[in-house]
Amino acid sequence: MAAGGVILEVEGVSKNFGALAALSRVGFAVSQGQVFSVIGPNGAGKSTLFNVVSGLYAPNAGRVVFRGQEITGLPPERINRLGIAKTFQITNVFPEISVEENVGVAAQSRSAESGRLASLWRTADVEARVTELLEAFGLVARRDELAENLSHGEQRYLEICLALATEPTLLLLDEPTAGMTPGETKDATEMIRRLALARGLTVLLIEHDMSVVMGISDRVAVLHFGEKIAEGTPEAIRNDPRVIEAYLGGGGD
Amino acid sequence: MSRALSWRAVVVWALLAVLPALPFMSKFYLLLAFDALLFGAIAMSLDLLIGYTGLVSFGHAAFFGLGAYASAVLLERGVVSLWACLLFAVLVVGLYALVVSYFSTTRRGIYFALLTLIFAEVVYTFFRYTQTFGGSDGIQGLPDALLWRGVPIDTPLRKYYLVLVYLTVAYAICRVVVTSHFGRVLVAIRENEDRARFLGYSVQRYKMAACMISALLTGTAGAIYPIRSAFATPDLMLWTESGEFIISVMIGGLGTLAGPILGGAFFTILRDKVSSFVDWYFIVIGVVLVLIVLFMPKGLLRWRQAA
Amino acid sequence: MDYLIAILLPQLLHGLVFGAALGLLALGLTVIFGLLGVMNFAHGELYMLGAYAGIAVVGVTHSFWAALVVAPIAVGAIGAVTEVATLRPLYRREPLYGLILTFGLALVFREGVRQIWGGDMRRILPPFTGSTPLLGMTYPNYRLFLLVASSLLLLAIWLFFTKTRAGVLVRAAVQDAEMLDGLGVNVPRVFTLTFAGSAALAALAGLLLAPIFTVYPQMGVEMILLAFIVVILGGMGSMGGSVAAAFVIGLAQSLLTLWMNPQRVAIAIFAIMIVVLIVRPRGFFGREGVLE
Repeated sequence: MAAGGVILEVEGVSKNFGALAALSRVGFAVSQGQVFSVIGPNGAGKSTLFNVVSGLYAPNAGRVVFRGQEITGLPPERINRLGIAKTFQITNVFPEISVEENVGVAAQSRSAESGRLASLWRTADVEARVTELLEAFGLVARRDELAENLSHGEQRYLEICLALATEPTLLLLDEPTAGMTPGETKDATEMIRRLALARGLTVLLIEHDMSVVMGISDRVAVLHFGEKIAEGTPEAIRNDPRVIEAYLGGGGD
Repeated sequence: MSRALSWRAVVVWALLAVLPALPFMSKFYLLLAFDALLFGAIAMSLDLLIGYTGLVSFGHAAFFGLGAYASAVLLERGVVSLWACLLFAVLVVGLYALVVSYFSTTRRGIYFALLTLIFAEVVYTFFRYTQTFGGSDGIQGLPDALLWRGVPIDTPLRKYYLVLVYLTVAYAICRVVVTSHFGRVLVAIRENEDRARFLGYSVQRYKMAACMISALLTGTAGAIYPIRSAFATPDLMLWTESGEFIISVMIGGLGTLAGPILGGAFFTILRDKVSSFVDWYFIVIGVVLVLIVLFMPKGLLRWRQAA
Repeated sequence: MDYLIAILLPQLLHGLVFGAALGLLALGLTVIFGLLGVMNFAHGELYMLGAYAGIAVVGVTHSFWAALVVAPIAVGAIGAVTEVATLRPLYRREPLYGLILTFGLALVFREGVRQIWGGDMRRILPPFTGSTPLLGMTYPNYRLFLLVASSLLLLAIWLFFTKTRAGVLVRAAVQDAEMLDGLGVNVPRVFTLTFAGSAALAALAGLLLAPIFTVYPQMGVEMILLAFIVVILGGMGSMGGSVAAAFVIGLAQSLLTLWMNPQRVAIAIFAIMIVVLIVRPRGFFGREGVLE
């Protein structure tokens, strides 16, 4: 898989919640076009890491650099506008509006009117992009359905649609296949890989499902109790004794 | 909802326009219709905040009352141009709304509600006890306003058409806003504020804007009030008034524009009818409110596609 | 020194008494909010009902002491009925629904009282008159009684919440209402009793303060706003915080009236509230994340 220059650098990031050290000096680099997975037992700090990168939390120490620009501590809306989009582990869509309206509001945040005074009276013309995204995820037939009425798998796809609609360069996927059936998981994995290639996206992925991780990752980092204990190619990680011990010993999958 | 008006809306508007020609429309009923439409307009602008953005303001009476006082102060001093009153009200309410919306939107849910309530209480307390503005009696005995030189707005008929024009303009503004790019973001904020942030929206700015638009619309409605009533009193700013606005929105249905107009009109007429029979209309209102919250929290007349 | 005794001390004592009454109200609000998730906009009316129930009892028995017993029980009963009929379904819905519904209830109570007793100001005569020399100043006996009574009351409440099984249960549930489900406790009954208890406390406060302030249907309206301020200052969900904040506000209000007229004082208190809501909405002792 293609890889270009470094697009995201996480350096020495630590995050504490009171006495709990959720992240301790975590660091790694992601290259353009890679699919980079972060794995680890429950409570290892993976979601916290995503929350730091996406702007929900400011780290207590360390920095995050995206395309050469420091984004540590910036608010989520700024970071999204710079090109990072995140999906949520627990489905987080707009429940009482339709699928089309969901993706529409996401897509229009990148239209010319966004944030300007004219947005008070202009409508954004996003229909083409919305349809394109819905087609890519097989949701066109459900476009008028309220988001809360979608099946779980469909909602996970909608999650990704929302993130993609903001035209990111880096996509943070937080357990995208959580709660999916094996069939759905396989389809989703394929879709992610295809998307990444087609749109030149870089993907940072949190996953519990090893088959997904091994199948599409270029590189894998392993977190355990907030620290990075290993990083490397999928094969190297699979055979790393420290990783095996972490999963068997510290709280399994 | 598309921007094209439904035929239903056009028909209703036409009916409203010819209402004064109906046989039973005495002066009294014309003024009642005035109140109904004004209240409906306020409810509609409040719904922009409650139904569309998901922010419940318990302080809207302050916007209304401030607008009324702005008008009254000018009229009292002989500045009787309608346009001057409207402009001044926009200025005054705008400044106040800037402060309130800036601070209130930093917090969510019940804190937002309480902040708007407290701000309104400050305004009420100030006007109630400041003699320059007439204290608890307010400003009374105001002259008629002028549309332009030689055209006073003195008869109930003219007052009625004034409020009808106002309602039309307010409705048009709301409709444009609600169907625009901006309006879609408001709905997203209501549905899932955090998600909206992660899609790149500076949510607080949108909330502030929604609050200001709602406040200004209510404030201009307030400016029109003394033209009808010839007075402005602190009671207009009681938080129980704010509560009545909320009731109107809930009766009419959250998340639509026409619903609250009907809700406000219905509530005004109910209030008038009930209080002419019994002294205890507040009890009726209170019971109605309790029943609505228990059984139809989204509003009595809610329908998805607004007229 | 004279100034201190003649002016400051009475105001201080008055502030403590007022703070205690406010604390009873705020405590009730906090407990109701923690347990049922409802911001009870009608709490001021329960306070008001206590005074009017007192008027009714005194009218029949001519005894203030009888009223002190009967009125809270009566209002507590009203509270119980209200809770079962209207508030129960709102448990675990968004707090704003509770706010709006109790707003409606407040309207009903206020207007109901106005219909029965009229809108004029009324008085309840204090059960005893006269003053006592205290620290070089004479102080009305009834106010001294109030000071003692409210201290005892707060002490009793504190004991209830820390030493009795029921009290400890309610206190824990205020922090985390869901834990009740797992304990095999009759949850609906706990809710009703708690609401009734809070109502009774509010009524008691209303009755106790009635001889000092006048009684009129709107008397609860000003109290409820202050009570909200106190609850938020002290921290939503913190009972000790509510009581502490009540004293702070009670004293602040008392002492500020020495220098400013009542309207300015009111605005000053509101200003404090606004600042706290913005800067630290969880108040002094509140838990992070509650409703933020």
